Amino acid sequence: MSTPATTPVSGPAARGVTPVDLHSARSVLGAHASRIQRTGRTLPFSDERHLQASQWLVDEAWLLDAQAYEEWLELLTDDIHYLMPVRVTTALGAGYDTSPGMAHFDEDKYSLSRRVARFLTEHAWTEDPPSRLRHHLSNVRTFATDDPDHLVVDSATLLFRNRGDVREGSFVSAGREDLLRRTDEGWKLARRTIMVDDAVMRMQNLAIFL
Amino acid sequence: MSDQSAVLNDVRRGMIPAHIYNDQELFELEKERVFGRAWVFVAHESEIPNAGDYVVRRVLEDSFIIARDEKGVVRAHFNMCLHRGMQVCRAEMGNASHFRCPYHGWSYRNDGRIVGLPFHQEAYGGEAGFKRKGQRLLPAPNLASYNGLIFISMDPDAQPLEEFLGDFRFYLDYYTRQSPSGIELRGPQRWRIKANWKIGAENFAGDMYHTPQTHTSVVEIGLFREPKAEKRKDGCTYWAGSGGGTTYKLPPGSLDERFRYVGYPQEMVDRMKQMLSEDQLKVVGDDGFMISAASIYPNLSLVHNWPKVADTDQVLPFISIRQWQPISADETEVLSWFAVDAEAPEEFKALSYKAYLMCFGSTGMFEQDDVENWVSLTNTAAGSMARRLLLNSRMGLLEDGTEVVPALGPDQFHGPGVAHTGYAEYNQRELLTRWADHIEQPVKAASTLEVGGAEQVSVSQAGAARPAVPEPADQDRADQARADRLGAQA
Ligand code: FES
Ligand SMILES: [Fe+2]
Repeated sequence: MSTPATTPVSGPAARGVTPVDLHSARSVLGAHASRIQRTGRTLPFSDERHLQASQWLVDEAWLLDAQAYEEWLELLTDDIHYLMPVRVTTALGAGYDTSPGMAHFDEDKYSLSRRVARFLTEHAWTEDPPSRLRHHLSNVRTFATDDPDHLVVDSATLLFRNRGDVREGSFVSAGREDLLRRTDEGWKLARRTIMVDDAVMRMQNLAIFL
Repeated sequence: MSDQSAVLNDVRRGMIPAHIYNDQELFELEKERVFGRAWVFVAHESEIPNAGDYVVRRVLEDSFIIARDEKGVVRAHFNMCLHRGMQVCRAEMGNASHFRCPYHGWSYRNDGRIVGLPFHQEAYGGEAGFKRKGQRLLPAPNLASYNGLIFISMDPDAQPLEEFLGDFRFYLDYYTRQSPSGIELRGPQRWRIKANWKIGAENFAGDMYHTPQTHTSVVEIGLFREPKAEKRKDGCTYWAGSGGGTTYKLPPGSLDERFRYVGYPQEMVDRMKQMLSEDQLKVVGDDGFMISAASIYPNLSLVHNWPKVADTDQVLPFISIRQWQPISADETEVLSWFAVDAEAPEEFKALSYKAYLMCFGSTGMFEQDDVENWVSLTNTAAGSMARRLLLNSRMGLLEDGTEVVPALGPDQFHGPGVAHTGYAEYNQRELLTRWADHIEQPVKAASTLEVGGAEQVSVSQAGAARPAVPEPADQDRADQARADRLGAQA
């Protein structure tokens, strides 16, 4: 499959800053996570693998909007690493822009399953009444890996969350890097790194998933 | 400014005018009279372990660079250039030998002294026009630390920090002195909530009553075995010095067994037995109480809990330190750090961090439900109806002031201060009484510093956490040359 010459070359997000796909390896609780990384350039948008990855992400976004968390959990592999580093403002050239050793989410299947189980109790007050959620998804690009059963997918997400009738809604904007794994039950999420664009979150809590 | 004495008197008798949780006029008074004089936490020394390390933190609107200088002295510089007032450092953390202002290029050593002033001779006629020598970024009016916790007071005449903390230090040690190396902090996570800052401080200080209701869900999912209503009321609340907190009653057992019950490995227990005093150990071993949440007036809170972190019966303790930083009458920025004993085994540190993430902080499953309540409360306190409502904060007292449950005697509780078992609002009243005492009294006008003029910063205000070593004056010129050579900037 040929790649148009204009396709952007994959690589680190910015000079001097940790490439997204290394955050999982460096995080405190990422020891169990898959280390598979992207290879080569962005797959053409017409590539079957890109189409499948894009559809997976769109379907997932609808599940998250609907807070269909049990179904969502089924889409995660047992060795999932779900990471959302804390972003910090550092000088250009400091070499890092995430808080060392700290994250908002640094999750495995167990901790995610507890979070989901909590939402399913009748006593998770923060989501009763539930928020109105919309995950806006864009900028999807897909990369092959050395393993034909794994794809790396970048995407941008903008979550709008609104509660009640008095407070204004709030936003979370983030870039994500996902590792998708082909299984007998279809593609599953094996690793996600969420690079949020806020150093100080403007949301009362993160009782949501990105 | 209207007379607040009726409000303050109501607060002192435990009848809380609901509007104090969302009141513009009171917020203005808090800025001047609470945060204008109290000791306010800004950082922990473990966040800036090496020379040149810094973090930028705020006390209300005032930005401070908390830096460790080349001699290892911790300092707090007001983050405003002495020239035209530009923010000198715009990163929130890093390592720098010098800070260079982006506006006209004045530069400062990390101990605050000015070293680079472009065209000093041509523009000012040198020292004759502008006394560069001895000028430094304006230091915080008062700076001190306890167990590595660094505090700023905006009052140069504030009582010494240790005196201010008073007997609360006894309890602070459980969180921050589990080994000779003390704690290390990670984070903070930062997020803004549409809630008044006092609500979180009150809750952490003593609200054992909310746990079984607010946090039902975390018990239901098997994360935490403690918050069941029966268990929580067997614990006690205590108030000592400038802070107070809550405890859980531990099951019968020896001192070692009780520490292990909350998940400490024996090697950490052994170190705690070396570090803690006889009475501190008796509170656990004899009295059977384990510290949990706590607050230090005005806006610093601590947490110690022990949830499950995997699908086993094992629990893991974690410690969190957090600050309720006021943004406005109805908004607070939460800064939430994970803290762990520096000598703990690496595996313990990782799992303790996992316990923290699952329970507290921006994603914590306890925290999520707390904040929902506080946002809602703040919102409801804004209107005129809230001005007609005095909330009863007298839990634990009969109408005539008799205690529902008498205070624990010295043989039942070996800690200082006053402790009571069961549900009560003693600590919330203690916190708000201090608040009322501060709100009542205006602060003295602050002294000013004339930049480049004859007036110099006095030694006692030099902004060092430890006495600064006298510095050779002729160092200045060499420093400036070095700064210019390095072209260093933050
Ligand atoms: S304002 Fe900083 S150099 Fe002018
Ligand atoms: Fe709570």
